[in-house]
Amino acid sequence: MTQPLILIIEDEASLRRFLVPTLVNSDYQVLTAATGTDGLAMARDHSPDLILLDLGLPDLEGGRVLQTLRQWSHKPIIIISARTQEADKVQALDAGADDYLTKPFGAEELLARIRVALRHATRTMNDSPVLQCGALKLDLERREVSLDGAPVRLTPLEYRLLEALAQRAGKVATHAQLLNEVWGPVGAGQTHYLRIYMGTLRRKLEPDATRPRYLLTEPSIGYRLNLD
Amino acid sequence: MALGCEARTLRLVHTGFRMAREQGRPWVAVHVEVLDWETAEEADQARVWLKEALDLGAETAWVQAATVSEGLVAEGARRHVAQVVMGRSRPRGPWARLEHARALETIRRGLGARIVTLPMEHAPAAAKPVQTPLDFLGLVLVMATILTMCSIFASALFEAIGFPGLPPVYALGIGFIAHRWGRAFSVPSAVAAVVVFDLLFVPGHWPSRPEDWSNGFYLSAALVLVQMVVLLVDRLHQETRSLHRREAETILLMLVGRALGRCATAREVASVLAERLQGLFRAQAWLLVPGEGDAWRPFPESLEPPPCPRPSEFLPHFSNPSTRADPFEPLFLDGCSFVALAGQGGAEGLLQFRLEGGGPLPQESWGLFQSLAVQGALALERVRWLEQAEQARLDTETERMRNTLLGAVSHDLRTPLAAIQGAATSLLLPEPLPEATRLDLLAMIRDESERLARLLGDLLELTRLQSGSIRIHKEWQLLDEVVGAAVQRLEHRRGPLPIRMDLPESLPLVPLDGGLMEQVLINLLGNALRHAPDSPVDLRAWEEPSGVQIEIADRGPGIPAEFRARVFDKFFRMPRNLKDGGVGLGLAIASTIVKIHGGAIWVEEREGGGARFRLTLPLDGVPPAELETESAALTMGTRP
Repeated sequence: MTQPLILIIEDEASLRRFLVPTLVNSDYQVLTAATGTDGLAMARDHSPDLILLDLGLPDLEGGRVLQTLRQWSHKPIIIISARTQEADKVQALDAGADDYLTKPFGAEELLARIRVALRHATRTMNDSPVLQCGALKLDLERREVSLDGAPVRLTPLEYRLLEALAQRAGKVATHAQLLNEVWGPVGAGQTHYLRIYMGTLRRKLEPDATRPRYLLTEPSIGYRLNLD
Repeated sequence: MALGCEARTLRLVHTGFRMAREQGRPWVAVHVEVLDWETAEEADQARVWLKEALDLGAETAWVQAATVSEGLVAEGARRHVAQVVMGRSRPRGPWARLEHARALETIRRGLGARIVTLPMEHAPAAAKPVQTPLDFLGLVLVMATILTMCSIFASALFEAIGFPGLPPVYALGIGFIAHRWGRAFSVPSAVAAVVVFDLLFVPGHWPSRPEDWSNGFYLSAALVLVQMVVLLVDRLHQETRSLHRREAETILLMLVGRALGRCATAREVASVLAERLQGLFRAQAWLLVPGEGDAWRPFPESLEPPPCPRPSEFLPHFSNPSTRADPFEPLFLDGCSFVALAGQGGAEGLLQFRLEGGGPLPQESWGLFQSLAVQGALALERVRWLEQAEQARLDTETERMRNTLLGAVSHDLRTPLAAIQGAATSLLLPEPLPEATRLDLLAMIRDESERLARLLGDLLELTRLQSGSIRIHKEWQLLDEVVGAAVQRLEHRRGPLPIRMDLPESLPLVPLDGGLMEQVLINLLGNALRHAPDSPVDLRAWEEPSGVQIEIADRGPGIPAEFRARVFDKFFRMPRNLKDGGVGLGLAIASTIVKIHGGAIWVEEREGGGARFRLTLPLDGVPPAELETESAALTMGTRP
């Protein structure tokens, strides 16, 4: 198997200095770009398997870069943002970014996110309908959910919510994305629907609903189905 | 408590207030508007007294009724009053006295309540602005009746006493007329009396004998005397009237002064002035304060004032009062009167003012108007000083905060930086270090940089929160989720933690900003775990009428009573924790966040030892609408 190619679009030299050796050391091929314009050109020329995109670029807004990329590429994009860019982050995720990392972050976290994103990209190709994690088993084809082999009864809305999360397993799903997929246009802005159904889902699936193991909260952003 | 409309009523109001306070009872001030009897001025005055009673904690009522007693009985019965306090004007004449007693009896019977009447020196009848006016025919009739009565009485006396007894009889009649209907009318009456007297009592209808002349002269002198007495009485009445007016004005100024004294903003000053002027002169009033760009900033803002020249052109007109003949005279322009609110530092603003008819202010009101303007100016000046003092206090506070911040930051940022720099330079030395030392130094670099990141994050967060730039984004959320997210983040950092949670399923949705509230919980739980590392931390939540209560309790050393209020201050650290690596921002952040949620946070001692942090979050606003039912949602989007 060839080494996946990762494009880093990041203007800060010190961060690139940390990212490049870390990724190379983990058997990835790495390309770097310091500006949005360069990044877009390199993405077009080299079609990387994954893109790490900083939201605070000097020439173009990260959001613009993302939109342009998404016009022709479906490869995973992970956003890197500072803590003050919460709103931009949600916007980028809604616009099609796959995941995010908030500065400062550690190497472990970075590598884990990259693994999930790449795995997800290949899995959609394999199209395996069964997800398994610990005691939780989710069969998307037969629409069955079980815990430790015992079937769990979910209401149709609960199931659809779980399904929407499972389609992004391991990645973050924003409130807006989930609301739109489960409730359609009437759900827009009604985050409390989501919260209540996540509550009941957790009570049915989690051993301890206040310490979720599968259905993780990404505060102010959305949820993530954790299958590690 | 029944209110009239005279100036003395204020005393009645104050007595009512005192009695209610002594007896520890609620009190009601009632004004009975006797239909078709009260003038507009009286009604305005009564409103002033009711407002005063309201300020003193009374409930107020405005009742319309045919008589005062009826109105009082109706209102009293509705409110189940135990006691009625009335001011008693000295009844004039036996008939009025009878009427008064009858009214009291009606009230006593109607309410079964005790009645207290306060003797009040009554402003005499002169307080009424005009005597009942009569048209010409009426006057002639009155004159004829009185002169006829005088003549009948005089003829009876004539038999008994003779001529000298007659002039006083007519003099009495004319005196009555003058007193009752005014001097202007008494002069023709006097002339008529002389004519009638001559016709009736002087033989040959016209004085021919000297003694007849002297009788006629005698009568005329008596009538002139009567006129003079009436003149004096009249003047006395006028004096009393102006005395009463001045008393009313003094009381009014006192009330305005007191109301202005309570104002804390220019807007409040303006509303007090506008309200009083409306009541007093039936006029619309605005307070004009120079605003930005040479334009007026009018108060109240709700109603646009009529246009007037810009401050730079207009204000100089007021700085030199000598250009006007009377320093009290307001400037009159386009249907509005203007007067300067001049304080120590020059004109604070203008009082603009439009009478109902659009004419200038009557001259007798200039003085009162100016007094109000002076009071307004003083109040505005005071408000401005208050604002400046508050600003100065804020500046000092900011300065102090900046110094503390610099001190704390320079120490707390340098420590981890020094460690990182030291470790990194050691690792770069040409002599290779033992593997264990190398790893240890690397771990230290990681830990210290995390500490730096946390500290910087906290500082930014607090600055953002306190600068007011943060926009709180409340959503109705399940507490489970917020608590879960907080615990998740803590455990992600440190591995499984001994946190015991008790969150009943029955907890309602709470309106909160998830990200911020998670920060609060992380800070509180983090503190508890740090100070009580060997025992579990308990987190409980329950609902109370005041809102949702959250409690985080540990078994650590607890917080001594003297520090319990101060632990929420910025950079406050308890003496024993000075070296534990904290900066004293966690609780300050938590408390700020809880406060912008409209909640409260405090710390108590836990029974059996330890600290117990409590916070309450209000359930403000309308909870989200019912969820769509499953079936309704299903028809919309289920797969076939």
